[in-house]
Amino acid sequence: MQLGFLVDLHLCMGCKGCEIACKVENHVPLSTWRLRVKYVDVGTFPETKRTFTPLRCNHCTNAPCERICPVSALHYIDNGIVDIDKERCIGCAGCVMACPYGAIYIDPHTQTADKCTYCAHRVASSMMPACVVACPVEANIFGDLDDVTSNISRYIQKNQSNIQVRKPERGTNPHHFYVNGGNVALNPLASERPEGHHLFGKMTSKMPVGGH
Amino acid sequence: MAAHEMLAATNAVVSLDVGLPGIVWPWLVTVNMWAKSIGTGVIFMLFMLLRTHPDSAKQLRFATAVVAFVFINIFLLFTLADLHQPFRFWHILVHPHFSSAIAWGTFMASTFLGLLTLLVLLGYAKKDETYDKVLLWTSILAIPVTLYTAALMAQCTARELWQMPAESAQMILAATLAGSAAMILLGGSKLTYEAKKDLGVVLGLSALMAFIIYMAEYIFGPQKAEEVAATLEYIKGDGQYAVMFWIGQFMTYLIPMLLVVLSRASKSEAILKLAALLALVGLFIVKHVWLMIPQLLPMS
Repeated sequence: MQLGFLVDLHLCMGCKGCEIACKVENHVPLSTWRLRVKYVDVGTFPETKRTFTPLRCNHCTNAPCERICPVSALHYIDNGIVDIDKERCIGCAGCVMACPYGAIYIDPHTQTADKCTYCAHRVASSMMPACVVACPVEANIFGDLDDVTSNISRYIQKNQSNIQVRKPERGTNPHHFYVNGGNVALNPLASERPEGHHLFGKMTSKMPVGGH
Repeated sequence: MAAHEMLAATNAVVSLDVGLPGIVWPWLVTVNMWAKSIGTGVIFMLFMLLRTHPDSAKQLRFATAVVAFVFINIFLLFTLADLHQPFRFWHILVHPHFSSAIAWGTFMASTFLGLLTLLVLLGYAKKDETYDKVLLWTSILAIPVTLYTAALMAQCTARELWQMPAESAQMILAATLAGSAAMILLGGSKLTYEAKKDLGVVLGLSALMAFIIYMAEYIFGPQKAEEVAATLEYIKGDGQYAVMFWIGQFMTYLIPMLLVVLSRASKSEAILKLAALLALVGLFIVKHVWLMIPQLLPMS
C-alpha cells in the first residue's frame, strides 16, 4: 500500500476548511501549521486572478527529512506515510532544514518537530484524513496509489497530462500530486512577497518557537 | 485562452500565507562550525609541525592538545545548546540512524574528544612517544570530524546553495586556515620564525583557495540554479547580508593573504600575528553569512 494525496486546484476555492479541520484534529498550536492554503495573486488590475494552493507534507519516497533525522523520529510506516515519533525527536531541526517543501516546523509546546502525517491515526481506523472530510468541493483526494481502482489512481489516470508535483528536480519522489497547478502555485520563487502586501506574514505568537 | 492566463507570472504576489519560519539554525551553529575548525585545525598543524620543525613543535604538544580539547568542547556544547530538546541528546546513542550525518558526527566527535582527552593527559605526563602515536590517529579522525558538517549541509536538500563538493573543501580549508592561525598565535616564543613562516604559507594558501571557491559560487552559482541565484541575492547589491559577506571575505581571506606576503617580505612576526587574528575573527563572519542566507528563502 502506498497512500497519497491529490489536490485539484481548479476545485479548491481557498475556504481554508481543511486548515481548520487539521488544526482541530491534530491540536496544532498557534502560529504553526501542518496544512495551509497559500493565496497568490497574479496579474495587474483589473486583469487579476487568485490561486489557492493547499500545502502539506509530501510524504516523499526519498524523504530528506527521514534521511537526515539522527534518531529515526521521522520514519516510514507500512502504508508509505512518513510518520513522526515526537517522544524520540531531539529537536535538532535537521528535518526543518532538509525539507524542500517547508512542511516541517518545531512545535512550540513540545519543542519537537511536527508535520502532517496524513492523519495516520485516523487512517489506522479506516477513516479519511480530517482535511479530506472537511473539503466542501472534494478538492482533496486521498487513497492508495498502488490500487488502480482507488479514487486517486483513477483521478491521476484521467488527468495524466496535467499532474504536477512540487520541486520534482529535488528527486524526493513526492506522493502528493496537484492537478491544474501552475508555476505560480507550486514554485515559491515564481511569486514575490513584498512587505505589507500579504496577510499573516509575521509570527504573532509570544510563545518561544525555538530553544534559542 | 483567458486573458489572465496570458499575464506574466512575474506579476505574482503572495497575498496570504503563514509566517515564514525564519532562521532555524541560528548563530549557535556558526559557533559550532567555527570552534570545530579551530579544534581540528590545530591538530592538523601540530601533526605537520612535528614532522617539519620537530625541535620547536615538541614544546607545543600539551598546549595544542589543551586548545583542541577546549574548542571541541565549545563545539559540542553549542551543538547541544542548539537542540530544542537537549536532554534527549542520548537518543542518538541508543537510536542512531546512520543515514544521517548528525548520527555519524556524534559518534566521531565523541571519539575525537576521547582521543583529545588522552592527548592532554599524555602531554601533561610528557609521554611523547605515546602522544605521537595517538596524535596520528587523532589527526586521521579529525578529517571526517571536520567534514561531517559539510555532509550535514549537503543533506539539507532544501538548501540548494550548500553543495557537498564545495562545502567539504570549505570545511577542510576552514580547518587549515583556523588551525594555522591559532598555531601562529599559540606558538609564542616556542615556535621558530621558520615554523611560523610555514604556518603563514598554510594560512595564505587556505585563504586563497577558500576565496576562489566562494567567488566561483558567487559568480557562477546563479547561472546553474534558480534557487542559488535567489539565495545569493542576499549578499549582492543592497542585500541583507551583502556588507557582512564582504567584511568576512576581506577579513578572512584578502587582507590575511596580503599580510602573509608582507610578513615574509619584512620578516615581521607581528604582521603574521595580525593576519592570524583577522582570519580567526573573519572566519566566524564568513561561516555565519553562508549559514544564514539559504534560510531566508521561502520554501513554499
